Amino acid sequence: MSGLRLENITKSFGAIQVLQPMTLAFKAGQVTAIVGDNGAGKSTLLKVMAGIHKPNAGAIYLDDKLLTNLSAADHRACGVEMVYQDLALAKQQNVVANLFLGREQTRTCFGFLNRTAMAERAKNELNRLGISIADLNTPVGMLSGGQQQAVAIARAALFEPKVLLFDEPTAALAAREVGQVLDLIRQQKEQGRIVILVSHRLNDVFAVADRIVVMKQGRLISDTPTAATSMSKVVENIVG
Amino acid sequence: MFARLFTQNQNRLYIAQCLLFLAALGAFFSLASPYFLSLGNVNNVLTAGAVIGLMAIGATFVIASGGIDLSSAGVMAFCGTLCAFCLQKGGWSPWLALPFSIGLGGLCGFLTGFLVNITEAPSFIVSLGMMSVARAAAYIVSKGMPIYGLPDNVISAGQGQMLGLQVPVLLLIVGIVLAWILLTQTQFGLHTLILGDNAFAAQAMGVPAGRVRLKTFTLAGIYSGVAGIIFMLRTNSGDPTAGQGYELIAITAVILGGANLFGGRATIIGTVLGVLCLGVLQNGLNLLAVSTYYQTLFVGLVLIAAAFLSRVRSQR
Ligand SMILES: Nc1ncnc2c1ncn2[C@@H]1O[C@H](COP(=O)(O)OP(=O)(O)O)[C@@H](O)[C@H]1O
Ligand SMILES: [Mg+2]
Repeated sequence: MSGLRLENITKSFGAIQVLQPMTLAFKAGQVTAIVGDNGAGKSTLLKVMAGIHKPNAGAIYLDDKLLTNLSAADHRACGVEMVYQDLALAKQQNVVANLFLGREQTRTCFGFLNRTAMAERAKNELNRLGISIADLNTPVGMLSGGQQQAVAIARAALFEPKVLLFDEPTAALAAREVGQVLDLIRQQKEQGRIVILVSHRLNDVFAVADRIVVMKQGRLISDTPTAATSMSKVVENIVG
Repeated sequence: MFARLFTQNQNRLYIAQCLLFLAALGAFFSLASPYFLSLGNVNNVLTAGAVIGLMAIGATFVIASGGIDLSSAGVMAFCGTLCAFCLQKGGWSPWLALPFSIGLGGLCGFLTGFLVNITEAPSFIVSLGMMSVARAAAYIVSKGMPIYGLPDNVISAGQGQMLGLQVPVLLLIVGIVLAWILLTQTQFGLHTLILGDNAFAAQAMGVPAGRVRLKTFTLAGIYSGVAGIIFMLRTNSGDPTAGQGYELIAITAVILGGANLFGGRATIIGTVLGVLCLGVLQNGLNLLAVSTYYQTLFVGLVLIAAAFLSRVRSQR
């Protein structure tokens, strides 16, 4: 069976069970939004899918390959990329170094960096994604919030991933920048990727998601196509 | 506009600041003392700077990775004493004794890194432990007394010249070039800086954080080991009390050179300039016959100023 599947995933931190047994499946070319109150366990669920947290029980499959217990680096190698809420950028490094973080291109021996190849590829990929950053040698910390978000998304999209996980990608952005991020998310969907979006901004959710999953206290409350629900029903499920 | 231009090239800005400080010190001392710019004195500054310089270069990698190594002076004394012991008491060939002592320096660093990795304790605590262990090892090897009477061939090689440069200065230059290549041209160097910048991001993106940390501490141990050999050659002895407090001078030099005390930004060139600033300061004060108490005071003040500067810089 293709796609991403979670089977009875649970997660606890110490005595606190943050995720109750959770079973979900995600299809390629579909944007699924996960919404819920603060502390519902949305970020934890994404981090389990990205290999940051090991689930206490259950299994994760991507196209029938078992991902459970693999490291975050292995998840990336299998095509699972996450855009973290705090972006996980090295702020004192430039755009190119951040785009290739953990996947630097080296010349054959001694791990010498191939900076020209990386800069060239970075330029092309950013063009392809429609992201414009004047100087790729700028330390990422000097860029605007929207540009930093774009770098984090570009890094996730750079190596043809199968799954893209977004944790609150629009929370810290100005209105104009939100539109760009939503466009990037749509673009990834059109490339046939599995896109999962955690957001508390329901406007954004209804603008891009094909399906809306509501979580509450680590449990699945509802799981409906966007077309079959409404903003007020979703809000009701979140707070009710 | 200008502020923006500068902040985009922070490393260059800090190197420029350091050069300016160095020039100011140089100008002041050359006016204050006619000997300051003499060839002999310049040579003095450089050879004296070689020990601190090599330790500071090693410390640059650790600081870049977000750690602090307080063991460098202890390891330096241990390696120098051990090497003197092997040469003088053991009758070893220098071709064996030198690599052996430097290798044990690397092993000390490796152990520090290994313990930081498995305990997940702050590196300044673990390396504080290693500082005592290495210093104690130096005392044990030498039974608490300096080891005198190195073989003649070692002394003459150590105090000789090559390409018109003193051997310590030559070793320092080789150390600088190798470190510059490692930090700026290799994946290891980039990973070191990224680990110090954002440890979570490094881990999440698949940077082998533990292995990178292990390499930075091992490298620092090796550089301290070479510094210990130079100290031994310069003093013609294996002294277990060698270089008390040098680890702090080395760290001061790194911070003065524009490194971020919290990791993620450091340059070898900056560190070298930081070492030269401190070396010139100490040498100039010596020439002016300022008492060592005040010299210590000045180094302390520069450290505080550098730490303050590092904070201001990292807030930008
Ligand atoms: N690393 C952690 N250690 C301990 N508790 C955690 C950790 N991460 C999250 N939690 C707890 O798990 C719960 C869910 O958090 P989170 O997944 O961040 O929620 P959400 O993203 O839906 O707001 C919260 O109560 C939070 O305090
Ligand atoms: Mg969250």
